Amino acid sequence: MSHAVLEQFRRIGRDLFVAGLVSSHGGNMSVRQGDRILITRRGSMLAQLEERDVIETALDENDANVTLVSTEIVVHRAIYQATSALAIVHTHPPYAIAQSLAKDEIVPVDSEGSYLLHKVPVVTAQLTAGSKEVAELLPAWLKEYDLVMLRGHGPFAIGHLLEEAYQLTSVLEMTCRVLTIAEGMGVELKEYRKGSERYDSW
Amino acid sequence: MTSATPLFGPLRGLRVDLSSGSFTEEELPSEVRRAVLGGRGLGAWLALRERLHEVEPLAPGNRLILAPGPLTGTGAPASARYSVTARSPLTGTVFDGNSGGSWGVAFRRLGHDYLVVGGACDAPAYLLVSATGVELRPARDLWGLDVPATLDRLRELHPGCQAGVIGPAGERGVAFASIVNNRGRSLGRGGLGAVMGAKRLKAIVVARDGERRPPVADPERLAFVVYEAEKLLKANPITSQALPEFGTSVLVNVLNQAGALPTRNFRDSRFEGARAISGEALRDGYVERRSACRGCSIGCARRTTAGGEHGEGPEYESLWALGADCGVADLTAVVQANYACNRAGLDTITMGATIACAMELTEEGLLPGGPRFGDAAAVLRLAEATGAGEGLGAELAEGSARLAARYGRPELSMSVKGLELPAYDPRGMKAQGLAFATSNRGGCHLRANMLGPEILGVPKMVDRFATLGKAGLLINIQNLNAVLDSLSVCKFTAFAMKEDYYARLLSAVWGEPVEPQELLCAGERIWTLERLFNLAAGFTRADDTLPRRLLEEPVREGPAAGHVVDLPPMLDEYYVSRGWTAEGVPSAVKLARLGLDEGGALVEAAGGLADASPAGTPPARPATGGGAAEERPSP
Repeated sequence: MSHAVLEQFRRIGRDLFVAGLVSSHGGNMSVRQGDRILITRRGSMLAQLEERDVIETALDENDANVTLVSTEIVVHRAIYQATSALAIVHTHPPYAIAQSLAKDEIVPVDSEGSYLLHKVPVVTAQLTAGSKEVAELLPAWLKEYDLVMLRGHGPFAIGHLLEEAYQLTSVLEMTCRVLTIAEGMGVELKEYRKGSERYDSW
Repeated sequence: MTSATPLFGPLRGLRVDLSSGSFTEEELPSEVRRAVLGGRGLGAWLALRERLHEVEPLAPGNRLILAPGPLTGTGAPASARYSVTARSPLTGTVFDGNSGGSWGVAFRRLGHDYLVVGGACDAPAYLLVSATGVELRPARDLWGLDVPATLDRLRELHPGCQAGVIGPAGERGVAFASIVNNRGRSLGRGGLGAVMGAKRLKAIVVARDGERRPPVADPERLAFVVYEAEKLLKANPITSQALPEFGTSVLVNVLNQAGALPTRNFRDSRFEGARAISGEALRDGYVERRSACRGCSIGCARRTTAGGEHGEGPEYESLWALGADCGVADLTAVVQANYACNRAGLDTITMGATIACAMELTEEGLLPGGPRFGDAAAVLRLAEATGAGEGLGAELAEGSARLAARYGRPELSMSVKGLELPAYDPRGMKAQGLAFATSNRGGCHLRANMLGPEILGVPKMVDRFATLGKAGLLINIQNLNAVLDSLSVCKFTAFAMKEDYYARLLSAVWGEPVEPQELLCAGERIWTLERLFNLAAGFTRADDTLPRRLLEEPVREGPAAGHVVDLPPMLDEYYVSRGWTAEGVPSAVKLARLGLDEGGALVEAAGGLADASPAGTPPARPATGGGAAEERPSP
């Protein structure tokens, strides 16, 4: 693993924790390099990643390092096999999780979220962590959307770079904070965006 | 998702045989449309099907495949474009050019998806395509006219027409002659104009706009997606400020500051005269007004004046090739040399880079009496002489690879696969070096430009000096650009838009769900078809390389000082990431995943694409000297 790649993991991991998007040992990230995956170690602390915390394994099959990799390896592999993603960020952001408990899709009302997301599908699974069920469910959605919310668990965001997937995650949480505050005001919200009534068809 | 009635029918084409003067109409099955989209993708598929890798580029058997894309003329952002594909006389590879303006829209409004032109005329002629069919008309009075005069005469003959024409350079078979439409919009690179000239075909004219608006299954949905896309284009400072205000020339100072502006045939990577030939200097002293391709809100083109002349451009690549690469800081001379190229119908990049090569040969004592770096008058004089086939210009007309080989120094041609490199020094942008080496039409920035992630931070900034870890990003950009050229949409939209926008636009036009992932897969399929063509034409891993200077001579000073391109490990990583063998051949598994395996619908429709695998006997390739390639200006 090159120094530049490790630095990306460290920088993004620290920011995810500082921004409150993961708990101390929660969340995971990976990048794809050809037919190999670099993924965070199971139980690693994203805010304090060292070289030993980023594990290399194969895209298509298990090897000895499967003893170390993130619980979500099966989901990451399925996403890479079905999409052109080169990076995945999975987090547990509280406002987004709260919104996912009430909605089948999250449609932003703020400007930044409207531009970058339009809408976020919410997907339900019985077994929400490291399961084949999620691995079979999510890739189909991620062919069409760069960010999908797993109800009660958290979003999976994809990009060509870790920073892209991190940005989408961050925007989602900000959008959900705004939604939660605005909906809690108990007043009718004023529309300012032409065509926004069609965002649910995005 | 759209609920409109799908418009997913067959592709409708016209086929012209210039030798017999006959034309026929034909159709291709809808599987081809879905698999390769149109434009460049359709050109690559047809080129393989028709085995153009087996023909000499300037022989009657070579064909010009003209194709707009499914978004052309629909109102999608910056989509007034079309592609022309043939086997290149400069590189021997499959080669497509892509141009804006109005020709593609006018052609599509006749109800056609593509036009194939083969054979050769006995005497100079031009093609007139109209709602009633195709006519071959004599062009005796047009032969010998320069590009503007040809376009003017055709408009007198056919008011309201759109024409793609060649100038004297194409007539003479200059290996880097261009095809020009709308005065300054060029299919600039690779010598497509020479292919046209060898067929004694002066112009391909669409009589006037037809009555058939390009079909859109769900106009309301399309309007919604276009509105959202235009919001992004207006919010992005590259597409809403930099390109509208400066055009592509804004890049001169950007690349110079980064130490990645090749200077004096890539001897240096910073030019002390950059400010004098910059976008700012062009805006302040030469630009008369902005102009734009049909329906484009970015408007990057420029009408300019210099030395009492008026014309289009120059674009960034032309400013560099005729300026910094030749050590010339006289902007008036650079603009006038650009006009000379436009009049003659010459690719400005190869022209400037070949003059720069001649300058280095002179300074090495190998070309007595030749031009020297910094000689502005020589650049203008040699551009005119090349178009006219006079003096040293007749030697330059073959491009730098053959020129440098003739004088015994092939390594002084800064080219890949025979195509001269554009205005980015890969020693300061390492993944750009990999992009040049693996480009399937030679040294080109339009196959994949790492300017975005390595200099401008689009989609995000990466370490431009890092060698490994960027192959995947490059492959995604190569695949996406293949999609954009096939749709046909201007690549500048990708500064603001991601692939999901193009998928939504196409979904609305076709009335069929199209996922972003499917589009990128189509891009990979198109890239692979082009690779199969080149392998069948005799290219190997050894051709995926760079000029020796970039591999061995460290940059002498500036931000990139001390750097070279360490290509072999990058190439290994690239092949693995592509799913190719260590020799750069797509694996059977990869071909099957892309639907290019024998027995697949796409291969069956082509009558056996697999025959184009490298197992066949490679035909003779045009002689090139440098083992490096070339490239062409912006839209």
